[in-house]
Amino acid sequence: MLGGVTTTLAISIFSLLLGLAIGLPLAFIRTYEKSLGFFVDVFEKVFRGIPELVLMLLFFFGVGMYFRFPFKIALFTAVFVLGLRSAANQSQIFRGAIRGIGEEQMVAARSLGLSRFRSIVHVMIPQVFIFSTPGLGSEYALLVKDSSYAFVIGVLDIMFTTDMIRKATFDFVAPYIAAAFLYILLTFPIATWFDTWGSRRKKTLGL
Amino acid sequence: MMECRHLWKTYEKHLIAVKDVSLQIKEGEIKLIFGPSGSGKSTFLRCMAMLTIPEKGDVFLREECLTKPGVNLNVARARIGFVFQHIYLFRHLTALGNVELALRRVLKLSKEEARERASGALREVKMEEWAHHYPAQLSGGQQQRVGIARALARNPDIILLDEPTSALDPELIGEVIDTLRDLAKKGTTMLIVSHEMPFAREVAEEMIFYDEGTIVETGPPEQFFTNPQSERAKKFMTRLIMKTKRE
Amino acid sequence: MLPFEFLFEYLPLVLNGLILTVEVTLFGIFVGLALGIVLAIGDMHGGKVVSTLIRFYVEFFRGTPIIVQLFMFQYVIPGMLHLPTNTYVTAFSVFALNSGAYQKGYVKGAMEAVFEDQMMAGLSIGMSKVQTIFYVVLPQALRIVIPAWSNEFCSLTKSTAALAIIGLLDLTGAGWQIMGIKYRVLETWVFVAIIYLIWITIVAKIADTVYERKKIPGIEISA
Repeated sequence: MLGGVTTTLAISIFSLLLGLAIGLPLAFIRTYEKSLGFFVDVFEKVFRGIPELVLMLLFFFGVGMYFRFPFKIALFTAVFVLGLRSAANQSQIFRGAIRGIGEEQMVAARSLGLSRFRSIVHVMIPQVFIFSTPGLGSEYALLVKDSSYAFVIGVLDIMFTTDMIRKATFDFVAPYIAAAFLYILLTFPIATWFDTWGSRRKKTLGL
Repeated sequence: MMECRHLWKTYEKHLIAVKDVSLQIKEGEIKLIFGPSGSGKSTFLRCMAMLTIPEKGDVFLREECLTKPGVNLNVARARIGFVFQHIYLFRHLTALGNVELALRRVLKLSKEEARERASGALREVKMEEWAHHYPAQLSGGQQQRVGIARALARNPDIILLDEPTSALDPELIGEVIDTLRDLAKKGTTMLIVSHEMPFAREVAEEMIFYDEGTIVETGPPEQFFTNPQSERAKKFMTRLIMKTKRE
Repeated sequence: MLPFEFLFEYLPLVLNGLILTVEVTLFGIFVGLALGIVLAIGDMHGGKVVSTLIRFYVEFFRGTPIIVQLFMFQYVIPGMLHLPTNTYVTAFSVFALNSGAYQKGYVKGAMEAVFEDQMMAGLSIGMSKVQTIFYVVLPQALRIVIPAWSNEFCSLTKSTAALAIIGLLDLTGAGWQIMGIKYRVLETWVFVAIIYLIWITIVAKIADTVYERKKIPGIEISA
């Protein structure tokens, strides 16, 4: 069962990071480069509007038929799908944070002579992070839970191992209760810690 | 009309907002409470209205004791009109709706009766044109006037006003004061907490200086403006007069 | 020949699947709303015991994946209490309970935003606490909740895909069936995905219209 936990955690964390890597730039592009806005919107609509399970099945069985590598690697497809979904979500979260911080910070940075890119990296991004902690915390929890869809395409996560145990012991009760506990343990503490860290940071910076 | 005896109210064990306060107000009288901010005036007023329950002491409305256990507070509160500093209109209802709500749900009037009385109340505060506007579409002064209409609509025995103009922009204060002056002319019993000194001088029969949870001094308005008796009142009035001179 | 033509012989299967998905979603969201309101009020006024029970309930439904919840209701609880299993009962109850847990949070947040002031105002005109909650606090809270509610609607729809895992023939289940029969896997799933997208767009549009109609004039609530 514990092997399953590592896999679940791995999926969640990698998806979060992938989502971060794509979502953060997307949020800034959507805010500051209106011409590309349409594409970002389409991306968000697609990856937030289609169920994660359907996307996984689509890529694993569908695309996987034509591109055996890498889509037939269940773990890859899971992280790929969840990562893109997370990117769409995080793009929204960060956009909200950017809106909350307001124009003034960018204006102030530019007035000092910083290029648009530099302003974003050194001034906006740190603040965006601090503002986004609640959203990111819940996104992480969401990823942990959605990682469970991966067991359908054969990933050895918590659900898969639970099922294996169930098939071996014919016990329908205990394995699932254990799985439930594991998931709760994985979601709540970290999400709350993230939230508290964020609030503390906000307080010290007087935001 | 209304009386309280030996009222006490404390917050968090250190903040005594109301310290053994007793007060009487007769029908038709208009009394004004004033004093430094944070002295507990608002809390005291809310205790009188039984919106905040005092820890010790009694409140009487027309000889009936409100602080006894087993009293139906809702019925009692329906006979007291209250106007809030921050207005607190029901945002999801129009001006007319705000005034009608109590008439329909508390007095259980029919739709037509409630509408008539509510329109009448709005007419008294000169807001009948705005009857179908929502609070967010009205200015602060207009909102407060609707608040006054809402308090009036049930023909309460007495109206308590908690700094009705303090949260308003200066230009908007006048319209509310005018409304209150009209009410005074009609003989409404009013107990007001306010800083509006000119208004107090004109309308109040008695002024009450409230500081640090107790009534320090009471007397007719002239007394405070010409010769306050207590040291604290003297200090407060001097500061107030210097402030008004500067403005 | 259109890539999707082969699917037309399976249209009934797909449509029935869509209907099931829609049914479960609508049941879940509306029963969830009622549940959420009851739970929010219970949490705010019910006393310590009620609040703790509610907390456990919410933590379970918000902390575990929907699949786990479905398995719990389909296998675990019937297993422990020796009850017969009915996949449909499981489906409808799990989604209603799940949505209720999330909506309780939204409703409670919205209520707390207006509660103190509006309760004072309601009491001041002689209404009882209950009357004030019903006629003053809830009408305002429910307006505030609309953006979060439309989010929940979309979330719920996506979660219903898990019904296929317990063997129900919802939209995803239909896709799974077709996949087993026909060779054209990618087209099948793209087709299913598009239908979900259309459904969600309709839902979002409806939520927006509800928001426009019901919003309190003069107040804009940022989603």
